Amino acid sequence: MTCKLCNRASTRDEFCEFHLRALQNLKDSYPAWKRALDLSWKDYLSQIAENSSAGNWVKEVAKYLIEHEET
Amino acid sequence: MVFVHKKPLAYQDVQGDIKVDSSLPKTTYLFRVEANQSTVSLQRLEKYTFIITEKPDAANRIANALDRAGKPKSLAHNGVPYYEAQRDRKLLIVPALGHLYTVAADKKKPRQFPVLDYDWVPLYLAEKGASRLRIWLQAIADLAKGADDFVDACDYDIEGSIIGYCILRYACGGKETEAKRMKYSTLTAEELEKSYQSMLPSLDFPLIEAGLARHEVDWLYGINLSRALTLAAKKASNQYTTLSTGRVQGPTLKFLALRERNINCFVPTPYWTLKTRFSVDGKVLEAEHEKKAFEVKSEAEATAKRCKVKTGTAESVEKKQFRQPPPFPFDLGALQSEAYRFFSYTPIHTLAAAQRLYLEALISYPRTSSQRLPPEIGYARILRGLAKNRAFLQAAGELLSRTELKPNEGKKADSAHPAIYPTGKLPIKALAGAEKNIYELVVRRFFAVFGDPALRQTAKITLDLGGEKFLLVGTQTLEVGWLSLYEPFGRLRDTSLPLIKEGDSVAIKRIALEDRFTKPPVRYNPSSVVRKMERCNIGTKATRAGILQTLYNRKYVRDEKIAVTDLGFEVTNVLREYCPSIVSVEFTRDLEEKMEHIQEGKGKKTEVITQAVGALKPVIANLQLNEPAVGQKLVRAVNQANLEERIIGPCPTCHAGSLIIQYSKKTGKLFVGCTNYFKSACKTVFPLPQRGYIWPTARPCKECGWNTVQVWPKRGRPWNLCPNPSCPSKRNGETN
Repeated sequence: MTCKLCNRASTRDEFCEFHLRALQNLKDSYPAWKRALDLSWKDYLSQIAENSSAGNWVKEVAKYLIEHEET
Repeated sequence: MVFVHKKPLAYQDVQGDIKVDSSLPKTTYLFRVEANQSTVSLQRLEKYTFIITEKPDAANRIANALDRAGKPKSLAHNGVPYYEAQRDRKLLIVPALGHLYTVAADKKKPRQFPVLDYDWVPLYLAEKGASRLRIWLQAIADLAKGADDFVDACDYDIEGSIIGYCILRYACGGKETEAKRMKYSTLTAEELEKSYQSMLPSLDFPLIEAGLARHEVDWLYGINLSRALTLAAKKASNQYTTLSTGRVQGPTLKFLALRERNINCFVPTPYWTLKTRFSVDGKVLEAEHEKKAFEVKSEAEATAKRCKVKTGTAESVEKKQFRQPPPFPFDLGALQSEAYRFFSYTPIHTLAAAQRLYLEALISYPRTSSQRLPPEIGYARILRGLAKNRAFLQAAGELLSRTELKPNEGKKADSAHPAIYPTGKLPIKALAGAEKNIYELVVRRFFAVFGDPALRQTAKITLDLGGEKFLLVGTQTLEVGWLSLYEPFGRLRDTSLPLIKEGDSVAIKRIALEDRFTKPPVRYNPSSVVRKMERCNIGTKATRAGILQTLYNRKYVRDEKIAVTDLGFEVTNVLREYCPSIVSVEFTRDLEEKMEHIQEGKGKKTEVITQAVGALKPVIANLQLNEPAVGQKLVRAVNQANLEERIIGPCPTCHAGSLIIQYSKKTGKLFVGCTNYFKSACKTVFPLPQRGYIWPTARPCKECGWNTVQVWPKRGRPWNLCPNPSCPSKRNGETN
């Protein structure tokens, strides 16, 4: 299996180990954003996708989730 | 007319053909033929001292210093320069060209893998393009034949000791055991004379053993791991790509990759800062809320509301004075770091410039880890020398007027050399470029270490705005001390603070609530990588900068603010997955410590090599076992790296693909095309020149904004080209 976002190998998940780590970091940071701005998950992803300080893999995951996650 | 046979001949070679006085000692003779007579006479060859140096420049300096009249004869043997100096006896000073011997695989087992049998061989046998060294080594061997006394005068460090040892052992016929050693830190005539007068009775064998061990271990790891990676990639793709790693390269790339991963996986979190602008005596100042970051917006807004007052009160004013001591003398790492800070020179660039200054006898030996300046170097003598230069007169004069000169030394010591210092000699020709800058930096630093501590004052003013506390912190230099001696490098940032007393009122101009985000970790730069390697104790002061350059050359990293490429990541991943010990900093550090033990005479080279080979064998076996998987991973990354190298920029037509330099298999021509061209999703193609090398510059065209490419013709200068056929620059017949 290959990662949905790059051609790297992934074992069980849809992402490679790098994008998987980026996804985990996204999930871990959401409570801080929620507390700070009271944002929904989708709004949070939109903010991250446009944020210049966010890492490239994080942005790729955020954009992917915006497109593919069910509302 | 007298002809002298080119080479000294042995007694036995000539005695059969001509009558020789049997009373002559049976050693080596010059064979003199006098043409106008029918006689042949033999003259005893004068024995001499053979001095080997690391480089031709050093040979020149040493010959000039040791010749009684300061005018040594400059000679050449088969085009190889050497010098003849006269003093109590004749000296031949013969230069090497750096390393002339290297570790190479045993030729009897050429197809063996892993390669565990090796030998020290002449460099010309191991490296392509080093054939001229054959003549050089032969000249050294010829010139050594008539000597009865041998001296190693190469730089006194691991590399210099190995260079001298190998030449004395292999080219001079086993003279390493009887050779003496000159030890010096500068190439000034005074120090070289002193070094010759007080030579060490033998070579420093523990240092040599440690150096040989380092070279052999590094070679074993480098050749086997690199070959394993290259073979795996080749078998998976049928294409050859050089992939390399090594004992120090692996862990260095690993910590760079770790930083890159943390940057790419970084999720910023929002926070807010609260600042107030207020005026005192017409001067506008800014103070920050005592709570530096508000993590919840509503809380920040509520606090800002409470602060909306017209005047604030200075609740407290705290002042503290402290002494800032002078810096330590430069070791190589600190010099590289400062040179990067002030001039943006990479560590390898700084080292090269410092090495040239050392060979010109302007500064001491730069590959040192010492932060000490012993009094024996002659502080006052150096300052008197520097004072002859008008630019240094004031600082040198100020220090010379003192009753005592005491440098502020650091803890780090180096048994071989002191910290880097100027010799006091002035350049014969005006210096330029990097040499000029590095020289000035070394001189100013030398002045600064003798300076007085600077006196500085910090002030913290606490303002009360409606019950909320705001802080204004600033630092001022009250007495410049050593900073004036380190000019223009010794400037500190001062924040002047207003004269406010406790209880004073200040007029509030505005309250500002600022949106902020946490920042990702900063990227390493060439200077901070070298410092990190130093802290982790991996590599040596002489090799660290070169290892970073190898990472650039292999395309594992790019840019000045270092970014790890896809290929760099994949190599790290493969090593981490299949041979974690190789990229472990602990493993490398452990080996470094063992090699330091050899140098201290506490360990044996054979033990370290045996242990290193023992650790290497299972690693190679595991890589071989998983060769297909390793190959596939590497090939994907190599292809990606090759692709990235050809990408010019985003496609201006479809906006989905990228413009890329492509090669048509059908026509054999180069062109620019969209990556979606072969998917038939975009038809964007532009022609390119068909001769020379072409690659993307990543710089936009000044006229149309498209990214340009650089064309390197086979002859002539490179030129930039905008691939946009409608670019206005093309109408004027210009290039970018």
